[in-house]
Amino acid sequence: MARTSFSRWLRENSQHYLMVGAHEQLAKRYPGTRGPRRPHGPLELAWLRVFAPVYRALPWPLRHRILRAMPGSHRQTWAPPPERREPAV
Amino acid sequence: MPHKTVIIGGGAAGLGSAGGVKAANPDAEVVVYTEFEDVAYSPCGIPYVHGQEIPDFERLFLATKEQYVQVGIDVHYETTVTGIDTAARTVQVAGEGAVGYDTLIVATGFEYADPGVPGGELEGLYYVKNIRAAMEWDKVLDSVKRAVVVHATPLGVEMTTSLAHRGIETHLIDPHPWPLADMADPDIMAPVEESWRELGVVAHFNTTLQGFVGQGHVNAVATSDGELPCDLVVVATHKTPNARLAAAAGLKIGSTGGIIVDERMATSVPGVYAAGDAVEVPHGLTRVPLQGLTGSHAYAQGKTAGVNAGGGTRAYKAVYVPWGTPAGKWIIGGASFGETTATALGIPYVLGQAQGISRARYYPGVKPVKVKLLAEPGSLRLIGAQMVGQEGIKERADFLAMAVKHGFTFHDLSTMENVYSPAIGALNEPIVVAATNGLDELRKAGKL
Repeated sequence: MARTSFSRWLRENSQHYLMVGAHEQLAKRYPGTRGPRRPHGPLELAWLRVFAPVYRALPWPLRHRILRAMPGSHRQTWAPPPERREPAV
Repeated sequence: MPHKTVIIGGGAAGLGSAGGVKAANPDAEVVVYTEFEDVAYSPCGIPYVHGQEIPDFERLFLATKEQYVQVGIDVHYETTVTGIDTAARTVQVAGEGAVGYDTLIVATGFEYADPGVPGGELEGLYYVKNIRAAMEWDKVLDSVKRAVVVHATPLGVEMTTSLAHRGIETHLIDPHPWPLADMADPDIMAPVEESWRELGVVAHFNTTLQGFVGQGHVNAVATSDGELPCDLVVVATHKTPNARLAAAAGLKIGSTGGIIVDERMATSVPGVYAAGDAVEVPHGLTRVPLQGLTGSHAYAQGKTAGVNAGGGTRAYKAVYVPWGTPAGKWIIGGASFGETTATALGIPYVLGQAQGISRARYYPGVKPVKVKLLAEPGSLRLIGAQMVGQEGIKERADFLAMAVKHGFTFHDLSTMENVYSPAIGALNEPIVVAATNGLDELRKAGKL
């Protein structure tokens, strides 16, 4: 139970601050786009200026492995993505 | 004794489940418990009655109570399930005591996230959910001059547009820099913001909620930008899974807070299934679990849970999430990833974009359609799409979700055939143009 609670806390916070980081990047990419408000306090600064850059610096395959290591429905039985098939006739 | 399935929840997942059980096992005894006065209506239609695009609430009902009786689905209205004993295979029902089951389906839906600010007990805070309550709130709206919508979630966007349509001075507050900022891209939402301004909406972005102000009844909303006087507040915070009963019964919960299920919608406890906003399901590309999808997802999950709970076999698939909604004077939509979500997760992508039209350029009623496609660098397989337009967005979103699912590339889409008929489709399909533009950009950059 504690593990699930930790994973939920981690997901909520990482998702939120990675999203805010994405807002910063898109505001730079698209001139005229409003950026997010400035971070308040050491906790927000730590998530945005330490966690988010470290996460982004990791290669996607590694990040993907970490994401998939979290507990959740994805670790149960699910059909694999569809494969390309030959024409019907 | 016939097989007995108990279903907790009377929303899209709950009623979809009931139909699924009956489809698999027509002789099964099916009992549905709901805390509300009604089942089988479309809560998603409520904002459009408030906006007076739909003339009355009666049109939102999909079936009558008698129809459920006739097909052998026993719905217990205004009845609360207070506990689940998975070992004894019983649920504890207020006023009925312990009720046994052979299989159980948990379809307890969602709750709005607690705003977590002072003043939450004041009158005049409207949480859109139950149709009977919506009918009462609709009468209240007749006398509302000024309303504040808290957060630009999908419901918040719909309610903002609806209240503005109704002629109410509407303020929208959201802590993010643009509406729907955790799923939609800024270039997609820019026309929506502009059309809201034309409708008289005052949007306050990068603005945090600090409290509801009033004596007994709310008369202002305190924000980081100052106080906004109002007669009514629509609280449209994000949806969180209502999985308390499930968690208390020992069902495993995932990182989203939703109930963990497999492709049969089976939970971690034998004989117990779950569906809808209370569960989490994997995204088709990343397999990262998602929660809080649409009514069509809930209904399809419910069907799957019901068929399996009734003794049949049915599998639900990982999701690619086609979505769409009216927003201001526009319709926005997409499938799978947009730039915001791909950037947040750090997924690399290349873009193909086009500003197209929905019909022949000379045909009356032609509308703009902007399409943005995201593809994996190298393979150019589609990973997502976002659109803004005024016609044909839903159909393109459905198609593009399938295109992502089946690994279509920019090459596939740039050479795809399309319907051309002046009244319903342009010669140049915007999806084809977007994919072609994406390939052209890559060629110019020497990457193709």
